Amino acid sequence: MSQFIQQVILGLLLGGVYVAVALGFSLVWGILNIVNLAHGALVIVGAYVTWALFTRWHIDPFLSLPVDALVLFVIGYALQRGVINRLIRAPLLFTFLLTFRLNLVIVSLLLLIFTADFRSVTTTYSGSGLELGNVIIPYIRVGGLAVALVLAGILWAILNRTRIGAAILAVGADRDAAQLVGVDLRHIYALTFAIGAAFAGVAGGIISTFQSITPTAGDPYTLQAFAVVILGGLGRVSATVAGGLAFGLIEVLGQSAPWLGSGYANAIAFVVLVVVLVVRPRGLLGRLA
Amino acid sequence: MSLLALSDVSKRFGGVNALADVSFAVEPGDVLGIIGPNGAGKTTLLNCISGLYHLDRGDIRWESASIRGLAPHRIARLGIGRTFQIVRPFPSMTVRENTAMGALFGRPGARLQPGAALSEADTVLDLVGLGEKRHYPVLRLTVPDRKRLEVARALAMRPRLLLLDEVMAGLNQVEIEQALEMVRRVRDSGVTIVLIEHVMKVIVGVCKRALVLNFGRILVEGPPADVLKDRRVIEAYLGQRYAREQERKET
Amino acid sequence: MIAREDRLPPRLRRSIFAVTMVALAYVILAPLTSIDAAQQAGLPLLTDKVWFRIVTTVLMFVVLASAWNIVGGLTGYASFGNIAFFGLGAYTVGALVANRGWPFGLALLVAPIVPALFALVIGLPLLRLRGHYFAVATLGVGVATGEVVNNVGPLGASTGLFLPIVRSDLLFFYLMLAAAGLAVLTTWVILRTRFGYGLLAIRENEEAAAVIGVNTNFYKVAAFCIAAALSGIAGGIFAQWNSFINQELVFAVSDNVQMILMAVLGGAGTALGPVAGAVVLELIIQTLAGGGSGSVYSQIGLGILLAVCVIFIPRGVIDFFGGRSKLSLRYFRQTLRETSA
Repeated sequence: MSQFIQQVILGLLLGGVYVAVALGFSLVWGILNIVNLAHGALVIVGAYVTWALFTRWHIDPFLSLPVDALVLFVIGYALQRGVINRLIRAPLLFTFLLTFRLNLVIVSLLLLIFTADFRSVTTTYSGSGLELGNVIIPYIRVGGLAVALVLAGILWAILNRTRIGAAILAVGADRDAAQLVGVDLRHIYALTFAIGAAFAGVAGGIISTFQSITPTAGDPYTLQAFAVVILGGLGRVSATVAGGLAFGLIEVLGQSAPWLGSGYANAIAFVVLVVVLVVRPRGLLGRLA
Repeated sequence: MSLLALSDVSKRFGGVNALADVSFAVEPGDVLGIIGPNGAGKTTLLNCISGLYHLDRGDIRWESASIRGLAPHRIARLGIGRTFQIVRPFPSMTVRENTAMGALFGRPGARLQPGAALSEADTVLDLVGLGEKRHYPVLRLTVPDRKRLEVARALAMRPRLLLLDEVMAGLNQVEIEQALEMVRRVRDSGVTIVLIEHVMKVIVGVCKRALVLNFGRILVEGPPADVLKDRRVIEAYLGQRYAREQERKET
Repeated sequence: MIAREDRLPPRLRRSIFAVTMVALAYVILAPLTSIDAAQQAGLPLLTDKVWFRIVTTVLMFVVLASAWNIVGGLTGYASFGNIAFFGLGAYTVGALVANRGWPFGLALLVAPIVPALFALVIGLPLLRLRGHYFAVATLGVGVATGEVVNNVGPLGASTGLFLPIVRSDLLFFYLMLAAAGLAVLTTWVILRTRFGYGLLAIRENEEAAAVIGVNTNFYKVAAFCIAAALSGIAGGIFAQWNSFINQELVFAVSDNVQMILMAVLGGAGTALGPVAGAVVLELIIQTLAGGGSGSVYSQIGLGILLAVCVIFIPRGVIDFFGGRSKLSLRYFRQTLRETSA
């Protein structure tokens, strides 16, 4: 029984990471109608920023998260303004191809700068956790989940409580109408993507605390972010949170099943993806299309 | 035996009753007009008949055999052709190719080869008055011509029943006259027609019977002249606009 | 009637035809100068190991791009999971030859069947999805299939499968050439039959296709299976040619993206577009990837090159020759205006 509770807790904690990863992805998809295949690479850029700050100046990974956000915000704004905006009205396939290539370019640049070596951030509290009987709750994972929930709150507040957020939602609902009422489309596009990237960066920072990173470590996260958005449903922050936590649970419980091993993370994501798409296309909490 | 018979057809979207217990029959040779305000369920009705929507309740019979739950292509091959209110041509093809697609796939019996389908298309295009524009890419067609093309593609299937969804909407007086002429030619070639229309002139001009839908229910059914005079219909639908037109005519 | 090549101006069509024929003759005949008899007769050697490697790879991508084109170009369903068919074909041959000791020729006959059956099973649920959903779901198919294979012991798990080495550049070159010919021919035939028109109708407007009598589900799944079978053949040949396969080699999503780029840049929906795309792009890739250490730079260079291509000519190279647009600054400006924010 305590085994099961342990799995559930680990699943929810892992789900926190997926929430963090999927928030930006979901925002970009919902508003810009772009499935950003470079999302995983952006996540890993954030992880490397945290790693660099930690190894060079011994800055605590959780303190470096705002820096991750800032760096990725700038990168994201530039990418959208300079590259992706040029293709935003092209058929879906092309934004797909473009972001896939972008992913490879970012990974290659990371290889040049950081090499393919495994990098990890090991703090003094990395190995420790709260012990409740047989159940162990690692502190660092709890920190990750907390950050993820804060991120979700911030995104909700940006979208629902600020002028910029109103403009972003307007563009997402109807770009032509938004333009008619005076929204600067290119700027809002770039801003949306930048916010998405900043969230990816923070997610990367969290990831660097419990996983060793390489330039290609972000690839699985793109597919997982997609699965989370499908599972929760597109178009709401709360749906992404629910989707992320549910997905973390499914993955941990799925892998603990005796007939499966830890090698099936992607396969589980995919099966969840297809089942949800076919059975309940709008996700657990999604709005009616 | 009726060609097409609907009994208690119902369809819901979320909490909205798009269609509620709709029953009527179409006899061979009929020209039935369906009118009703926007959102009354007219297009939903056609989508149910052509199999794009599944019915929640009720049954649709084609020559007394149920077609409920059949895939759209099966229904098409039974001999039911349709047009879309918002035209849906195949954009990269020419007018002739678009029309040929109907002949290529919609025929109930023998399968045509592409060449035969193309010459069949030519016949149909002459019937709807697009003969001279057969080699145009669709994207060069004007709106009235695109509506004609919808009709041509459906006719190329050699349907026995043709469902026309607002083929006159957005046309000017002259174009409406031409389109009316086209519908009469189609009727005279022996095709049974069900048409959705907003333009009263069309209903009075070609229909033998008319049927008024309101909030997904049938309000009145009968000869067009009687239906249009019905007080309930004037209230529900024609109320202000029709009354105003009448006034204008009198002054 | 609908194939876009038919609309090229006749003079251009003739010159394209001539160039193609010369190139084809060279590609078919040149390798023959490397056989012993030709060498003894003193003929000049037109090919070497590197030539064979590059050309066989190009032909492999001709198969893959053409197969993708049947689903993505003709039917309009952009599949990112075709690499799974390639991988399954490779593993079919790999498992039968390495584990069961089947002769390669016999195993190759099974190579198209396994992926086609797989396509049949996953096609029904997946082809109900559209747009992003279809693209990412198929992307998942590629990744997940690879992962499953990577975990199955009898298939070599993460080590991979080793096949007995067959040393014959000529054999694999001609096999791949035949597969490429088959893929192009299949596309050409499809484009001229009722089946092909049905696929095009689905691409152009699926609901309109259904109400004029196209059995859309059957057509889509059939196209998916055909593409799977063709990709499986390429995979099967690759397995024996390379004599080693593992997940990274035969389930690489980047290869799937590559075949899409080839089909799209060459001209999706045409029979010869994917061929042109595969030849040009693969040669560029091979040139860029010249040295091992340069591969990082080549990724970056290729990325930038393709981004530029995709941004500036999203309708494919064939579009220039379609009589509708010319390769001019105005064309670039116009496409930019149409697609950018």
